[in-house]
Amino acid sequence: MLSEDEILEKMKNFLGNAILEANVPRTRRIFIKIKSETLKEVVSFLSNELGVKHLSTITGLDLGEEIELIYHFAYKGSIEISLRLTIPKKAPKITSIVDLIPGATLYEREVHDLLGVIFEGHPDLSRLVLPEEWPKGLYPLRKENSVEELRKITQKSKGES
Amino acid sequence: MGYGSIVKVPFGPQHPALKEPENFTFEIDGDIIVNVKPRIGYNHRGIEKAMEARTYIQNIYLAERICGICSDAHTTCYCQAIEELLNVEVPSRAKYIRTVIAELERIHSHSLWVGIAAHEIGFDTLFMHLWRDRETVMDILEFVSGNRVHYAMNTIGGVRRDITDEMIPKINSGLNFLEKKIKHYINTISNEPTILKRTVNVGVLKPKDAVELCAVGPTLRASGVKNDVRKDDPYAAYDEVPFNVITNDGCDVFARIIVRCEEMLESIRIIRYALEHMPSGMTRVRVPLVVPPGESVSRVEAPRGELIHYAKSNGTSKPERYKVRSPTLANIPALCKMLMGQHVADIPIVLAGIDPCFACMDRVAIIDLKTGEKKVFNFEVFRRHIQKCYRKH
Repeated sequence: MLSEDEILEKMKNFLGNAILEANVPRTRRIFIKIKSETLKEVVSFLSNELGVKHLSTITGLDLGEEIELIYHFAYKGSIEISLRLTIPKKAPKITSIVDLIPGATLYEREVHDLLGVIFEGHPDLSRLVLPEEWPKGLYPLRKENSVEELRKITQKSKGES
Repeated sequence: MGYGSIVKVPFGPQHPALKEPENFTFEIDGDIIVNVKPRIGYNHRGIEKAMEARTYIQNIYLAERICGICSDAHTTCYCQAIEELLNVEVPSRAKYIRTVIAELERIHSHSLWVGIAAHEIGFDTLFMHLWRDRETVMDILEFVSGNRVHYAMNTIGGVRRDITDEMIPKINSGLNFLEKKIKHYINTISNEPTILKRTVNVGVLKPKDAVELCAVGPTLRASGVKNDVRKDDPYAAYDEVPFNVITNDGCDVFARIIVRCEEMLESIRIIRYALEHMPSGMTRVRVPLVVPPGESVSRVEAPRGELIHYAKSNGTSKPERYKVRSPTLANIPALCKMLMGQHVADIPIVLAGIDPCFACMDRVAIIDLKTGEKKVFNFEVFRRHIQKCYRKH
């Protein structure tokens, strides 16, 4: 089993330019910022070279102008490698990793539902957690709307239908 | 196989007895499942968004209410995430108490589940007996925390109640009773033909699929994969307590029952060790209300498997973003895999196999893919329809 620093070194050697930033805040935690277009390259490196098959989840965050995605991978169940990347909020598109990590399917759908990120190549991006009648183009985890505002909008759209 | 047309059978989401409403659309050929589509979210309450609007202290209560069975796992995970942001070290005594509560919760959750599994295969006597004996662990939890379900033991910086020396004999006598009973149940389950017939080679999940589909917890360990957050990424006092990670190579529903039963025995050993070696000292430290900017990833082995929380703070008393991924969501893709090729009659037990969902058989709509005709059947009519399929081949 590799240590946190060995994993980082290996990734820097193989992926070089793909990595923008990396830090180890504590034991068994690694945060790596990558270029968004290199996602597949990095994930296939993790999967093939380091044997990382377990994706714990995908976190989506609204940063204002951009949306940040954090892919939480577990190396040997132990070291949590969090890959982060940003995509523009105006065109929130990223390639799907379902073909490399089949377990990512529901996590991508969840982020799609709640933050409006389009995962290109995902076989089925239908609604997962929001109701079918939820207004189109309204993404609850984006910062534009507070809980109260969301409640008003959804009640209004219910009244119209 | 070969009934001719493939029909779609929606299951759920509403059922008076369902703990968690979920909907599955099954495509069935005769009586064999050929495709499964999950549709979750009927219980989506927007807790992540709600947490952004509340203070860190208020969010302890919200985290506790994410789940009614593994409430302690969520608060442990939440408090750990915030403690990391605050750079606070929890007193060792609090870590031991967290371990004790987590294991008591595991016993209560697993015995609840084994009871439900017995009920799903029509073995209600075992269900009744198990749930009667489960009251022992519920009593211990109430005795220690004051509550049966939402224990409210965790707080940021430690635990809210102490486990005193006077309490230990009563806890131990309850554990002795449970240990005897669980051993008896393992023996019964392993030798009872009606259980074996319904569970062996049912809902098979091969190790390769379990890993690829990112399954977690007992579901993963019953497919022979040795993976446990308590061991791999220790938290609370798990790095100081000796215990075994239970696995089973059966890959079927039976293996899932055995893994959970043996885990209960292991939990009893963990609790005994933790009570015996409990360090003295404080149970909590005071923490500031405002959290400096930062982020943390916290993981816990909940009764159903790996639970992961992500926290991001912005220097105020409320989090910028809080993300929760509970183990059931992680196991849904694996569940769909298990259901493929199964008989309709095995749906409830395979669904229950990942803990905690079970299917709604009371009302189903049958859509003929060729004609697009939709009929709503109740359980009786559906049962007759299935029998007709059986007779045809």
